[in-house]
Amino acid sequence: MDLLSNLVTGFGYLAGFQPVVAIVVGVILGILAGAMPGLSPSMGVALLVPFTYKLSPQISLILLGSIYIAANYGGSITAVTINTPGTPSAVVTSFDGYPLTRKGKAGVGLGTSLVASTVGGIIGTIILIFFSVPLARLAVKLHPAEYFALAIFGLATVASLGGKNWAKAFLAAMLGLLINTIGIDPISGVQRFTFGNYKLFDGFALVPALIGLFALSEVFTRLEEYKLEKGVESTFEKTQWPKFIDYWKLKLTILRSSVIGTLIGIFPGAGATIAAFLSYDVAKKSSKHPETFGTGNPEGVAAAEAANSSSVGGALVPLLALGIPGSATTAVLIGALMIHDVNPGPLLFVERPDIVYSLFAALLVANFVMLGLGLFGSRLWIKVTVIPKKVLLPSILAISIVGSFAVHYSFFDVASCIGFGFAGWLLKKYGFPVAPIVLGMVLGKLAETNFRRAVIMGGYKVFFTRPASVILLLLAVASFAVPLIQTHNANKKEKEAGGTPEK
Amino acid sequence: MKKTLLFVLLVAALSVSLFANGKGESQAANFPTKPIHVIVYTGPGGAGDILTRKAMDIAAKYTKATFVVENKPGAGGIVTMEYVKSVPADGYTLMYVTKSNISKLVSTSSAINPTKEFDWISMMQIDPECVITNNKTNVVTWAQVVADAKAKNGKQLWLGPAAGGLDNVTAMRIWKAAGIKATWVPFASGGKAKAALLGKQGATYTGNPGEIIGKPDFSIAAVCLDKRLPQFPDVPTFKELGVKGVSGEIIWRGFAVKKGTPDSVIAWYNDLFEKISKDPDWIKAYAPKGNQLVHYTKDKFNKMVADDYAGYKMTLGK
Repeated sequence: MDLLSNLVTGFGYLAGFQPVVAIVVGVILGILAGAMPGLSPSMGVALLVPFTYKLSPQISLILLGSIYIAANYGGSITAVTINTPGTPSAVVTSFDGYPLTRKGKAGVGLGTSLVASTVGGIIGTIILIFFSVPLARLAVKLHPAEYFALAIFGLATVASLGGKNWAKAFLAAMLGLLINTIGIDPISGVQRFTFGNYKLFDGFALVPALIGLFALSEVFTRLEEYKLEKGVESTFEKTQWPKFIDYWKLKLTILRSSVIGTLIGIFPGAGATIAAFLSYDVAKKSSKHPETFGTGNPEGVAAAEAANSSSVGGALVPLLALGIPGSATTAVLIGALMIHDVNPGPLLFVERPDIVYSLFAALLVANFVMLGLGLFGSRLWIKVTVIPKKVLLPSILAISIVGSFAVHYSFFDVASCIGFGFAGWLLKKYGFPVAPIVLGMVLGKLAETNFRRAVIMGGYKVFFTRPASVILLLLAVASFAVPLIQTHNANKKEKEAGGTPEK
Repeated sequence: MKKTLLFVLLVAALSVSLFANGKGESQAANFPTKPIHVIVYTGPGGAGDILTRKAMDIAAKYTKATFVVENKPGAGGIVTMEYVKSVPADGYTLMYVTKSNISKLVSTSSAINPTKEFDWISMMQIDPECVITNNKTNVVTWAQVVADAKAKNGKQLWLGPAAGGLDNVTAMRIWKAAGIKATWVPFASGGKAKAALLGKQGATYTGNPGEIIGKPDFSIAAVCLDKRLPQFPDVPTFKELGVKGVSGEIIWRGFAVKKGTPDSVIAWYNDLFEKISKDPDWIKAYAPKGNQLVHYTKDKFNKMVADDYAGYKMTLGK
């Protein structure tokens, strides 16, 4: 078969000093960039682009591809150990990863995220290799109506994210959507809530908000507890690492999430974060014990990580098959290719199969390198959990400030990060979850702009005349209503049984 | 005795150097004495970032000066312009600029007046705007675009980036010149609009000729020029198709400094950018994309910016 022989040639290309170094260096840098809040995968890749000018296009792409893969895993490390998602998509990983750490089971969280990331990354790459051409054809057919429906489907997960607390989760998501309206209206160009300040033209950047809501608010909350504890440090017990059988139990979750992640990754612009939220939601709904999600269920970690890592393969589909970027990171990759006078597009497979197939081979290898380095590294990263609070809390504060500054090299972002930190602390104090705010911020612009774009292109009826849009919207309604009805019924049963319903 | 002599010499040397620093001319004679910061309004890896880094890479062949490329993305370049406005006019801060920056200033009613705040010192590229179609549809040539537009009576979809941006204004001027009506569908980026054109979701995409390279489904219906591009000899110009007055629809790319930068420093940059514009690596990287590689210096470039600024104010009604 043509494909397989090309792939073998691709692997053959990796048998050299330079490609191997590129993969190992790429994976190490990617893990570090992902773990550093403020350095998203796209920035990690972008920062390395200038170093690739002197390299061949193959080596450049291998290096940058390895960073991309590993950065999506790296984000989970800080999410699990210190509740500071290193990347936006790792927000979902922290739902169950951090509770595991607080229970003294950081090893389970770290191990699960590594294995799920690896398997997800491999599945995503395999789908990319075998189905990139038909999937790419599908990708360009997606109408703004479908994007809107997908965004609504994503937003509907808030009902199950919130659980019994759904009303507060719903309010938090609305807050995220409202924050999203700040800035220049992307459709008409009108300024909204900017007060003429150019720093608000693009609205609040996601990453500083994320760091504030998660990392800083956590620091503030723990500072409160710290006083009560009078400086008593938590004692660290030897953590358990999961055994093979523990991973095997997660096989269905990982497989399902990987397929979801790859498919969502193909939507240009949708990306890893939505993939993680949706997979988590699906995993929770198909679990026999949905109530354990959010309290440290390894399945939650596996679903999120498998999805965000497999989305890499999906995002590369439109890039390689069409020359169209599917995510912020692939936009940077296109730039990196063009420096070398390589024009990504359908002709790339014909004209430069060496580039395409050496990248495919490298992505597969990079996942295994990541597994190896991760297994070794986890023993180091877990030590973060034994750092005394009086050292850890100021360090998180410092990392947060540096990380939010790094996004645009702007103090405005630092100030907004601190603002979001206080807001997050206050909200948590009154029982509002902060994750739905992120969900609202990620999906708000996608939903709004695509809604209006779809109306410009086909009028209001377009949402109901396109089958894919209708199906996604129906799924969204079901996904929103079912958890609410379940909660309602559970409360009713408790009442009938004479027990007091939980507040 | 020895110490006193040393001291006197030191004082003398210091005062000479102070004196030298006080005089603009001798300062510029040894410009630059410290690293030059080049501010780019796109993120790392964006087209502007790549162009700037390529130019600075080539500059290293001709000067020992150190260039530090810094990205200050945000608000379509206004973040970068506000920053450059705030630094001293000593030539140590250079700014990558494109015509898009001017349309952004006008469409956001920014208080920055580009002709008053900056000197536009070196224009390096002129890239004509063009209308791109999907050749797997029935609307490929300009005549077909016009016929389809008339049949749809304003409902023909033109895909492209943000409303009020350079490409959108170009499209509006083409519609006016050709006497047709159509609807602009703004996407989050040019890339996403091109994906939609591949998916046959609209009739055209407005952009630059280099964007069809490597994409066999795309054709250029017409290009905004007086003469055909040597890189795309089969592509007709709007002028030859009888659409008048859009030959100047281009995007330019170049470099600017804060107003008040000493003339001698600007002369130093002129010399450097002249060499870059003639460099084989520069030509090899950008000529095939359909760019006209030029080097316009301060007076000509300043005049063009003033004209573009006035033109956008008129078209966008600001």
